[in-house]
Amino acid sequence: MLNKRVKNILLKEWQVALHDLNSLLMVTLLPLLIIAQAVTVFWAIQEFAVDSILGLDIVQKALSNLIQTVPAVGALPAVQQIQVFLLSQMMFYILLIPTMIAVNSATFSIVEEKLSGSLEALLATPLHTWELLFGKALAGAVPAVILTWICTLIFFLAVRIMGWGALISLVVTPAWYITILLLAPLMALLSFLLGVIGSSRAKDAKSAQNSIILIIFPVFGLIALQVTGALWFTVVPTILLGILLAGVNALALWSAVKLFRRESVVIRWK
Amino acid sequence: MYGMPIIEASGLTRRFDSFTAVEGINITVNEGEVLGFLGPNGAGKTTTIRMLAGIISPTAGTANVAGIRPDLEPERLHEVIGLLTERTGLYERLSARRNLEYFAGFYENINVAAQVEKYLKLMGLWDRRDDYAGGFSKGMKQRLALARALIHEPKIVFLDEPTSGLDPEAAHEVRDLIKKLSTEGRTIFISTHNLPEAESLCSRIAVIRTKLLALDTPDNLRLRFFHPQLIIHMAKVTDAVEAAARALPFVLSLKREESALTLELKNMEINSPEVVKAVVDAGARIASVTEERPTLEDIYLNLVRDKPENVK
Repeated sequence: MLNKRVKNILLKEWQVALHDLNSLLMVTLLPLLIIAQAVTVFWAIQEFAVDSILGLDIVQKALSNLIQTVPAVGALPAVQQIQVFLLSQMMFYILLIPTMIAVNSATFSIVEEKLSGSLEALLATPLHTWELLFGKALAGAVPAVILTWICTLIFFLAVRIMGWGALISLVVTPAWYITILLLAPLMALLSFLLGVIGSSRAKDAKSAQNSIILIIFPVFGLIALQVTGALWFTVVPTILLGILLAGVNALALWSAVKLFRRESVVIRWK
Repeated sequence: MYGMPIIEASGLTRRFDSFTAVEGINITVNEGEVLGFLGPNGAGKTTTIRMLAGIISPTAGTANVAGIRPDLEPERLHEVIGLLTERTGLYERLSARRNLEYFAGFYENINVAAQVEKYLKLMGLWDRRDDYAGGFSKGMKQRLALARALIHEPKIVFLDEPTSGLDPEAAHEVRDLIKKLSTEGRTIFISTHNLPEAESLCSRIAVIRTKLLALDTPDNLRLRFFHPQLIIHMAKVTDAVEAAARALPFVLSLKREESALTLELKNMEINSPEVVKAVVDAGARIASVTEERPTLEDIYLNLVRDKPENVK
């Protein structure tokens, strides 16, 4: 399925990454920090702020959306309803992992090639722009997705340790599987492609990284939609979101190839 | 001696906003030729190579390399050219072998393992093949980068400052490798500001400073831009000796010192015996007669200093 050149890029990227302690730490520590932060916040809310949260209109609205989707939640005590509500937000929050890893590896892989001078040598081979970008995107996206899955398991393990294990079956709905198996890879690929676009258009590495980090905001937008009760992502909206993301990915790959001006990355970057 | 034209540029120009890096370059390089591209820093050497190698596009003019337009079909062009970039651009955390395997993997119909072995051995890096490129000396990195540019056996090789920053021994090694390549019938386009290097490696030399200032063989450049000088050392230069020399119609210029006359002649071989006879007849007691040929450095400095209007 993958052509020889894309495979070549993929293997080289992983080989270089394995020899780079900084990038290894980045891709392993960052997801763990995201998980640790979420677990800590959920625990703190449950310990100190359940009552005040229950009193909020938007939470009540979101809870009724949740109960509509998973009727069994309605039978639980109020505190556990809040616990299920909080755990459900992790469905999108976990998308920060592939997004952040892919953004970081996108800028890193293009920036380092440019700064070391290897990009010009690479551009003097018969490699097509789409092969270069797709190879690099896959090299960043595949580990990002695998780490997302591993972190999901770690998250549920932490949930069990917190004593909320009985609620997991109510949280992991079909929409969760769609998110983890479809949205996470699509988000990783999209983040990487947008990272590549930003890197190839920016005048230097710093401005590339600054502009690309904005990519995480749509993820927060999805969480906000659920938390405020505006929309609860059941199977159909999640699939629709997946289809939309697939389309955006195709557009991003096309744009990345168009916008990746070989000469601007060779000439303009300092 | 050389084949058909394989690199042709016509009016090749590259502007970056209001700055003109290269203007109206017309150049033809024949198959098997080694062309030296000389110019000071910022003269447009790298920009020209990048345009010819399909890395950047010209803003005006066209180029044709191996029958391919570099700006229209860069990927097809890259199958038949090799480029040694100004910076080695190696993957420092990968071994020498892996660096070459990676680049060889982008070409069709080559035996990657055999080519990698061939070039690591040719460049004297076989024993260090599994060492990280980051641990190599500058000379070794340059040889590895040269191997990378040649791994697919390109018929045209662009070398951008191949010995820049190398110590004399490493530079000598790289020059020897380039000489070896030129005997294999490859067309080599080499940019440098090392004049002896250009003279020793190149059949023709182009001098550039945004515009092309001259393009010819080193000998023809000497003839075009300098007349050889005849230096006659004698016990004492008298007025009579000077007058006798000045009276000769083929003497273009004359410089008198206490014990030497330096003369520029129209034709050294034909005119020098007549000059010697004239000054001896005028009473000169000659100690020695020598011919001084200008170096490439003289020509180069004459060209780049005398054309301030070309400086952008």
